Amino acid sequence: CYIVLMYKVIFCTLLSEKVTQMMEWASKRSVIRMNGDKFRRFVKAPPRNYSMVIMFTALQPQRQCGVCRQADEEFQVLANSWRYSSAFTNKVFFASVDFDEGSDVFQMLNMNSAPTFLHFPSKGKPRRSDTYELQVRGFAAEQLARWVADRTDVQIRVIRPPNYAGPLLLGFLLAVIGGLAYLRRHNLEFLFNKNVWAFSALCFVLIMTSGQMWNHIRGPPYAHKNPSTGQVSYIHGSSQAQFVAETHIVLLFNAAVTMGMVLLCEAATSDMDIGKRKIMCVAGIGLVMLFFSWLLSIFRAKYHGYPYSFLMS
Amino acid sequence: MAEHHAASDGKHKASANAGGSVHGNSRPGAAGGGGGGGGGKGGLSGGLTQPAGWQSLLSFSILFLACLAGFSSRLFAVIRFESIIHEFDPWFNYRSTHHLTTNGFFEFLNWFDERAWYPLGRIVGGTVYPGLMVTAGLIHYVLNLLHITVHIRDVCVFLAPVFSGLTAISTFLLTRELWNQGAGLLAACFIAIVPGYISRSVAGSFDNEGIAIFALQFTYYLWVKSVKTGSVFWTIGCCLSYFYMVSAWGGYVFIINLIPLHVFVLLLMQRYSRRVYIAYSTFYIVGLILSMQIPFVGFQPIRTSEHMAAAGVFALLQAYAFLQYLKDRLTRQEFQTLFFLGVSLAAGVVFLTVIYLTYTGIYAKIHIPIIASVSEHQPTTWVSFFFDLHILVCTFPAGLWFCIKNINDERVFVALYAISAVYFAGVMVRLMLTLTPVVCMLSAVAFSSVFEHYMGDDTKREKPPAEDSSDEDDKRNSGNLYDKAGKVRKHVSEQEKAEEGLGPNVKSIVTMLMLMLLMMFAVHCTWVTSNAYSSPSVVLASYNHDGTRNILDDFREAYYWLRQNTDEHARVMSWWDYGYQIAGMANRTTLVDNNTWNNSHIALVGKAMSSNESAAYQIMRSLDVDYVLIIFGGVIGYSGDDINKFLWMVRIAEGEHPKDIRESDYFTPQGEFRVDKAGSPTLLNCLMYKMSYYRFGEMQLDFRTPPGFDRTRNAEIGNKDIKFKHLEEAFTSEHWLVRIYKVKNLDNREPLDHKLRSVVPKQKYTSKKVAGHILFCCFNQK
Repeated sequence: CYIVLMYKVIFCTLLSEKVTQMMEWASKRSVIRMNGDKFRRFVKAPPRNYSMVIMFTALQPQRQCGVCRQADEEFQVLANSWRYSSAFTNKVFFASVDFDEGSDVFQMLNMNSAPTFLHFPSKGKPRRSDTYELQVRGFAAEQLARWVADRTDVQIRVIRPPNYAGPLLLGFLLAVIGGLAYLRRHNLEFLFNKNVWAFSALCFVLIMTSGQMWNHIRGPPYAHKNPSTGQVSYIHGSSQAQFVAETHIVLLFNAAVTMGMVLLCEAATSDMDIGKRKIMCVAGIGLVMLFFSWLLSIFRAKYHGYPYSFLMS
Repeated sequence: MAEHHAASDGKHKASANAGGSVHGNSRPGAAGGGGGGGGGKGGLSGGLTQPAGWQSLLSFSILFLACLAGFSSRLFAVIRFESIIHEFDPWFNYRSTHHLTTNGFFEFLNWFDERAWYPLGRIVGGTVYPGLMVTAGLIHYVLNLLHITVHIRDVCVFLAPVFSGLTAISTFLLTRELWNQGAGLLAACFIAIVPGYISRSVAGSFDNEGIAIFALQFTYYLWVKSVKTGSVFWTIGCCLSYFYMVSAWGGYVFIINLIPLHVFVLLLMQRYSRRVYIAYSTFYIVGLILSMQIPFVGFQPIRTSEHMAAAGVFALLQAYAFLQYLKDRLTRQEFQTLFFLGVSLAAGVVFLTVIYLTYTGIYAKIHIPIIASVSEHQPTTWVSFFFDLHILVCTFPAGLWFCIKNINDERVFVALYAISAVYFAGVMVRLMLTLTPVVCMLSAVAFSSVFEHYMGDDTKREKPPAEDSSDEDDKRNSGNLYDKAGKVRKHVSEQEKAEEGLGPNVKSIVTMLMLMLLMMFAVHCTWVTSNAYSSPSVVLASYNHDGTRNILDDFREAYYWLRQNTDEHARVMSWWDYGYQIAGMANRTTLVDNNTWNNSHIALVGKAMSSNESAAYQIMRSLDVDYVLIIFGGVIGYSGDDINKFLWMVRIAEGEHPKDIRESDYFTPQGEFRVDKAGSPTLLNCLMYKMSYYRFGEMQLDFRTPPGFDRTRNAEIGNKDIKFKHLEEAFTSEHWLVRIYKVKNLDNREPLDHKLRSVVPKQKYTSKKVAGHILFCCFNQK
């Protein structure tokens, strides 16, 4: 009986020590960084009355994990929302384990992908639903918050720090433009330069028609590297999706065709000598034909069953 | 007589240009249209007596052929299947048009449809854009008045192709105002066959967009005309056309933002003139009042943010005009310019905030599940741009370049049109439709400038240009005394060019290659129209190895079964995609339909579909459901069925009932959505799964696969022993595509669940649990 009591006392002091330690860390940074030792002591070791939500990640640049960085940002947003909310208690802590600091933890949990979100409940073993389904739910902070609420009964209202950078930059830009215009108010000729306006309009149109807005909303990878063969493919095989590299190629091709058309007209109308004009003309039609047929062949590769091609298949 | 002449002339020309197939036929004629001006000019120097007559005959015949080509290339679906209304929304439009023609206009405006959104009902008259129905009804009325008895369905089916011809004409008019006649003819030919527009206007696709693009282009034409002339006559015409557009499509917001933007940019460019003032002031006031006459629009034009830009520009224009007036009286010009700067800055800030707000609004909408679930609200990949526009997407920036280089009032308009439309098309794939006309116009400008310089010989061109251009000038300026710097420069350049030519070889090669590109465009358009945009989706077709065709008419079979065999007031529950079709073809009451105005009601249906049978039965009882209709494609491998849409039902249901429905429950632990044995038990026992696969486990489709093999998802189903307690199968169509279940009435007496009350106490567990609890309490206290 005495031994049991001692045991209890030791455990209780141990627990309170742990909790104060955790609170101290949490007050410093909302996501506690852990290595193997800390993980074993504060998460794996039994006396624990707090839940842990842990992100396993690989943030070192040499790991080249772009998703990890995005997921990390969202996780920080979530942890900060919790850390600075009025309902903050010591029931839940957020922590992260980086592969390069605690690879033994990855081995211990038999984990081979990052990022992964795990919840370690305050009592009992982690169950199936304590692993966050990243593939299904994505890593938006709101989704994570719902999952956390589901697992721990702690409701976190995600508050994103408003992004002032955009409006500030815009304001700054406008101010600079306005200032320049004011300084040069007696000589505003540059505003009437049609080439500048036409060129910027063309840039905008080309950006839009090459699907950059899709990239902006969907965030596809730049290109796909086949892990087994090491071959890099720049063109997505399906017509429903695209890589960033591919859109850049298309943008260039579109621009080349446009330039060809403009050259053709310039060749006919400009007042240069006839040799130069002929070169311009041939270059123009060459650009149009070459890049259009190339574009057509890319399109054909993506749109299966398309029967037509021109110059190149 | 004239028509006959024109047609034969065009045919002759087409054959001379070596046109081949039926649809390609018109295209070389059209390509010649680009040179139409050039060809006409060639004839002009040949000493024909009436050059203007030739030109107009040629233009007329080309336009006529463009309309004809546009009309006939939209008929694939009618020829392959029959004269039938397509898809989903057109069925609602057809039903309302039918209501309009049988009950009259006022009855239509006051129509409360109690057969939709049961038990809520829907006020149809106040929640539709009536332009489409009124147009079709009017045509039907006039035809009947002339004793040409046509069924209203045929009017509806052929309305969009007819209007595509009108669109071609109005595009011609607009492009002629912007550039010249040749470009106009090319633009008309482009818009007649371009897939981006055909996608919304094939025969049978009886939808708002089909007539709205005509209204859009015509309004823009009249606007450009009124800015050029400054006459109230053209402006009033523009307002009337705008009124028609408002009555036809919600996309009128594009007009009411683009025209103010045009005026604003003109002010910024110091191109203010009295013409602009008259045009915009009249347009804003009259257009505002007219647009408020549409019940669905009502007071929105003075309330909502997307109309505020127009009001702001109106105020700005008045202030500017007032300042201009003062400027004539006063001499302190410095003060005034400063004042102008302040005013324009303030207006610009207001304008930008409005744009910013709409931008964020659009952005937010993307993330709402019901909007995200509609595939038309997706952003656009470059492939769909290329698919819908082909060569035009690469060449129209060149046209934009030429327009901005030779800027004038109306070219400012087309540049703004292009830039804003291309932005919206990038954000949302369905707005490709508003981009298509401007792309056609600008590509026509690009091609026409090339053809203008490369068609015809140098020697013959030596003399005509001066004469020709003056002739053109005369023609253009006959009605008005309007002249712009850009045009003069163009003529100067034309004269320069005539001095030294590139030589006939280079020219003919360039012309040939360009014509080849245009032919490829025509072939592409025909292929796309035939393969991608001409399926009614109400009737499916499958092809055997030898090329023979099977028609799968399951949808209509099932809907007619409903119509014939169920009570007239029976209520049919289905996913919202099929609401309009059930109402239109089966004439039965539906719970939800494609007018997705009530998200919670849809979520309730989604919840019923994704719950287990007994929970679903409670929901269905509370909604008075008599029949449940689902689409199942597992037998024939039809991929657009309800199981493939099922996750959206779950998501939408989860949005409203997060406690009862969880998306993660429908996935395997690995996060996959599977229907076979490895699938999650929640999925395998939900109502949708059971209804889809009821008795399917007994069915062996061929000898290589086990019984119950789903061809759509290529999996053997996981739950083959499906029994229903509250439902019974009422009807399954020939290829199992549509399955209808009857919801049983309550039994006379609810049978008791014969579960014995368990009296064996589970003491082992409780004691352990309590003990553990106490232990932890101790820890906590310490």
